[in-house]
Amino acid sequence: MYGYSGKILHIDLTTRKTRVETKPEEWYKTYIGGVSMASRLCWENIEPGCDPLSPDNPICIAGGLFAGTPVPVGGKYGMASKSPLTGFIGDSLSGSWLAVSLKRAGWDGIVVHGASDEWVNVFIEDDKVEFRDASHLVGLTTTETEETIREEFGDDQVRSATIGPAGENLVRMANVSNDGRKAGRCGQGAVWGSKKLKALSVRGTQGVTVADPETLLKLSYDILQAAQGPHTQKYRILGTSSNVLNMNKMGLLPTRNYQQGVFEDAELVSGEYLHEHYKAKTIACAQCPIACEQVGHVKEGPYAGAMGHIEYESLYALSSNCGVSDMEAAIKSIANCNELGLDTMSTGVTISWALECYEKGVFTKEDFKCEKYPEGFEANFGNGEAVVTLTEMIAHREGYMGDLLAEGTLCSSAQVEEERATETYKWAMNVKGLETPGYDARTLKTFALGLAVGVRGGCHNRTAAYDPDIKGQVDRFSVDETRGKLAKSTEEYAAVYDTLPLCKFIRRCFTGKADRAGAWPAIAELINATTGWDFDYDAVDLIGERAHTIKKAFNIREGWTRENDALPWRWQHEPMEEGPSAGHVVTDEELEYLKDIYYEAKGWTNEGLIPKEKLSKLGMEDVAEEIGV
Amino acid sequence: MRVHVEFLGVSRLVTGVREIDLDVKQGTTFRDLVRLLSTKYPGMIGDVIQPDGETLQYPNALNHNARRVIQESQMDESPSDGDRIIIMSISAGG
Repeated sequence: MYGYSGKILHIDLTTRKTRVETKPEEWYKTYIGGVSMASRLCWENIEPGCDPLSPDNPICIAGGLFAGTPVPVGGKYGMASKSPLTGFIGDSLSGSWLAVSLKRAGWDGIVVHGASDEWVNVFIEDDKVEFRDASHLVGLTTTETEETIREEFGDDQVRSATIGPAGENLVRMANVSNDGRKAGRCGQGAVWGSKKLKALSVRGTQGVTVADPETLLKLSYDILQAAQGPHTQKYRILGTSSNVLNMNKMGLLPTRNYQQGVFEDAELVSGEYLHEHYKAKTIACAQCPIACEQVGHVKEGPYAGAMGHIEYESLYALSSNCGVSDMEAAIKSIANCNELGLDTMSTGVTISWALECYEKGVFTKEDFKCEKYPEGFEANFGNGEAVVTLTEMIAHREGYMGDLLAEGTLCSSAQVEEERATETYKWAMNVKGLETPGYDARTLKTFALGLAVGVRGGCHNRTAAYDPDIKGQVDRFSVDETRGKLAKSTEEYAAVYDTLPLCKFIRRCFTGKADRAGAWPAIAELINATTGWDFDYDAVDLIGERAHTIKKAFNIREGWTRENDALPWRWQHEPMEEGPSAGHVVTDEELEYLKDIYYEAKGWTNEGLIPKEKLSKLGMEDVAEEIGV
Repeated sequence: MRVHVEFLGVSRLVTGVREIDLDVKQGTTFRDLVRLLSTKYPGMIGDVIQPDGETLQYPNALNHNARRVIQESQMDESPSDGDRIIIMSISAGG
């Protein structure tokens, strides 16, 4: 088999034993890699109903088909487990040299079972696995952990993924960090922490054998050239942070916990402002010629020295959505999340929920007591120092508030409701427990559907249904019969990229057109040159449907029902008062209609369940046996 | 008539301006506006506007009154007096 080793490595942290599983070529053709393969490994290795933070919830890592090859932006891996935030599938992606090392070590995937009694750094060197004491790494930040491990090995070809203090403290929005990039969402870091897995380090010394190296090199070179042109210019110069002003102009920028869609100080927290005043450099993921990551650096003042990796999603969550107009405080908050190992999006949205609770009198100053502020602090919107401090409190579960917010908006609001008989769930902004992204969905009706039915919850990247709304391909303010097919189409389109995985920013660099017709034939050529298979347009298209289906199947097995496909209360009942998006909500009637036409488009039942025949046609007969109807 | 043009993202970087008011003839189309901008700000050619001087370079787009993005098929429609035109570069994901 070309492009793959055919081997999955199982590591049991409880027994400290390993075993090798071989998979047939047909399995690889069905699940490919990235989020699809990682989710399939979850399906095979997770007992339904398990506690996400128990030893029964394995960490499933799947490499990328193009990792270790010349294919641009192919240096990514997928990681999945049962999410401690949602209780459903939690899949994350990261660009990382770890993906390349994993491939060179000869593994297509890794499944980490059980839990260690002591903190451990699992070191993989080709086919050897070593369990190294990690007690001296406990408490270190993500960067400190990576650097310490690199120094210990004296080899910068040892690539590590690590967790920070947040993961150690089982914070449900903790992430996994590598080379400054993150497997960010769904709380993977907490799952690592529950296993006392502080780091996974890999040194791979083997090559990657592909079917047609000459063709692959030629195709890769052409993509590389295109990636230096106008198709990726925005990412290279400003990164995703330029979306702050775009969203603000359209009245879609989450502001003060999604109470507004226009932030009066948006210019001060914009990508343009960052570029002019704080940009230190740009960095790239493994195998990436684009280098979109903008690094912001604070040079003076109380946050001097802070360096944060600034993405739009991090920026909206920790600035406008917390009412913060101080870019330096935002950079410091993001830097804290990066170093302490927190997902910036869930952290920012959870903090904004707490700020609203404070402003509405649910919380008092005393609820915010911590070592830095023994009397507590005023937690109003706009208080940048409060947001900075709360990122630290959450990561360390410090004080009442740090411990509460470490649970995320779903659990925190439920706890406060029990303690104080309030209705804070009305402003707990999550879908299925995963905090919502930086696009207000009240006037993005296709996106609202994509989010509601999203298998990992409140995620923009997996649905991509904002695209037709924001680009004006449909009327974003209204609902019509096309949206079910659109939501299906966009989520499966995204799933193709997330499965190979390739960064979506390359999507126009194949032929100049980002649609399926423009990209799928070129992607098929890449797959075929790597594997020797004969994929065509239809086969590439199926990658996305299969990836989405295995995740949905996992959720069904965990007890998903139609009622779980819901939106935050605020988006359904509370229109914004000002701006271009004022006056709209997603009504119950609209949402239920959208779900109906989406399930129909997917070929599912009206209850959102998957017919056996549908699963069989996708080559998932064993899944059909378990959850098919 | 007068239209208000706002520059975001790369268009702001290459023009060095945030916003301007343009006095144009009644019936001026969105395509005419792009032509006008390419003449007024030649630096937009290449990065924001294609070499033909009348077509926007992806991912740049014209947003009309913050409510809709003008599609290629709508470029020969006309804005009204007092309208806002926002030049933005739209994209997300990764």
